[in-house]
Amino acid sequence: MSVMVAKDIVKSFTNGDEITRVLKGVDLSLDAGEVVALEGPSGSGKSTLLSILGLLLTPTSGSLILDGQSLIGLNEKTVSAIRNARLGFVFQFHHLLPDFSALENVAFPAAAPAGGISSQMKVRAAMLLERVGLADRRDFRPSRLSGGQKQRVAIARALMNKPLLVLADEPTGNLDRESSDQVLALMREINASEGTTFLICTHDRSVAGRCDRRIHMLDGKVERVG
Amino acid sequence: MRFALKVALRYLGSNPLQSGLLLLGVALAVVAFVFITALIQGLALFLIAQTTGQISHINLEPPTRVARILVDGTTLTERPVSSGQRLQIRHWQRALAIIAREPDVIAARPIITGNVFLLRGEAAATVSVQGLRPDELDAISSISSKIIAGRPRIGGGEILIGARLAEDLGLRLGRPVTLRSDRGGQRLFSIAGIYETGIGSLDERVAIMSLESARPLFDLPTGVTAIEIKLSDPNLAVDLATQLGQQTNLKATPWQEKNRSLQSALTAQGRTGMLIQSFALISIIIGVSSALLLSSYRRRAEIGIMRSFGVSRGFVMVIFVAQGVMIGAIGAGLGCGLGFFFVSQLASIKDATGAQILPVAPFEGGYAAAFILTTLGAALASILPARAAASIDPLEAIQQ
Repeated sequence: MSVMVAKDIVKSFTNGDEITRVLKGVDLSLDAGEVVALEGPSGSGKSTLLSILGLLLTPTSGSLILDGQSLIGLNEKTVSAIRNARLGFVFQFHHLLPDFSALENVAFPAAAPAGGISSQMKVRAAMLLERVGLADRRDFRPSRLSGGQKQRVAIARALMNKPLLVLADEPTGNLDRESSDQVLALMREINASEGTTFLICTHDRSVAGRCDRRIHMLDGKVERVG
Repeated sequence: MRFALKVALRYLGSNPLQSGLLLLGVALAVVAFVFITALIQGLALFLIAQTTGQISHINLEPPTRVARILVDGTTLTERPVSSGQRLQIRHWQRALAIIAREPDVIAARPIITGNVFLLRGEAAATVSVQGLRPDELDAISSISSKIIAGRPRIGGGEILIGARLAEDLGLRLGRPVTLRSDRGGQRLFSIAGIYETGIGSLDERVAIMSLESARPLFDLPTGVTAIEIKLSDPNLAVDLATQLGQQTNLKATPWQEKNRSLQSALTAQGRTGMLIQSFALISIIIGVSSALLLSSYRRRAEIGIMRSFGVSRGFVMVIFVAQGVMIGAIGAGLGCGLGFFFVSQLASIKDATGAQILPVAPFEGGYAAAFILTTLGAALASILPARAAASIDPLEAIQQ
């Protein structure tokens, strides 16, 4: 069953009279419970595609369906609600909130719309931190965590609202090999246990090699699916 | 909402030095606001007290003679209707009974006033006479306490005169003087006391005698020329004058009408104060707004990531507006406290005579207005930064 289906996605950017077509009709389908690598050289359009799939960018044309619901032409409020409840994000840089503890950072996506951190949220956030091996760091602020630990907190945060799809943009790009392996192993483990779908945008062939499927992009198009 | 407040509090607490300086800036502007308000109110109270402490707050007098159109042969002429008698209040006891019903009246006394020539040997001076009932000598302003020679006695043929008048005419206690009125009345008086009030017009040309002594001088066997009224609160004079005027059919004049220049000065002073208060508020608004704008720029990436995981624009707005409100409320509270302490200290500094060096009124610092206006101002100041923060494009902010 498809979680996300993108059809004929085109994205153009206008700069004065100059129009740059970054995506030139991308078709893509992600099935529930798979881990997919999105590969390609710089400028191939993979980050733009990831932003469109994450509703951070609107396509110039094309259709986008998440779990049977069309995502085109929605208002800002609905888009925010979908991003909050059904999608998870992991970025190359962790972007944790420096004034909040690891537990509060993880609980934030659930707490903001609810108006506070409930005891159930605390339990889930603590469980997620335990899953990423940071149970003993739950009250630490990001400044006291290592790069790998911060990225693991960011993964736990992405999972807080039990999303259908987690979009990860170079999640290991800033990590050393050991931390990178840990983060990837963690994603695979969560995928196996919770059935969460992951789309991982990466330059790293070893990361791509550990995914179920690889989508290779070149010059704004899907070149091959493997 | 509650969680947005928590985030706002964390943001303020994350940089104690910056937040502390911002709060101090707001508090100092509030201190300036409180100081100016306390000074202007204090000055107004001081001037009003100085003015109203020595005078009657309402004067009741006979209605002015009305000019009437008269037919004189074939021409129309306008003449005041006159009985040839002096203007007087004949039924002043009835008026006093009406006045006595007013709870805000603390004193009311009948008075006969008029001009006389004071003759002493070859010397003569025009003097204004006040004829009072002896037991009401101090009812409007204290004369007894201002006596510098003799006694405050006005019974029988005794009078009190001002120190400057005594000096100008070389008068001494016990000396006989002759007073002659414009009505032809003439009588010999003895000087029982000399007073010095510090008010030039009173010390230079007023003689105080008993009501009964004044009657023959001015040919007023039963009436009086005015009724003087003192109130517990001089600010009630205008309203009460209108009311008493209607009830007694007399011409009622509140003290403000006779002191229009004071009112104009107080109004001008109030406007100046308002201008300075506005500058204080504007400085608060600019300070808070610039600090929060800086904060929204510094936290672009954080706001971007919040927006990426679905936090609404409204939530981001609340975070920044709440910071503005907190800075305003805490700064205003601090400023009110510091301001009260500051003006209280100023009020306690006195000169050699025991008078305040600055007539500040510590309890008239406009604290409620300062608190509300500062909090509202800071909330308003935060709207621009809040909008800027809420409009941050998450993708752009994350990619930076």
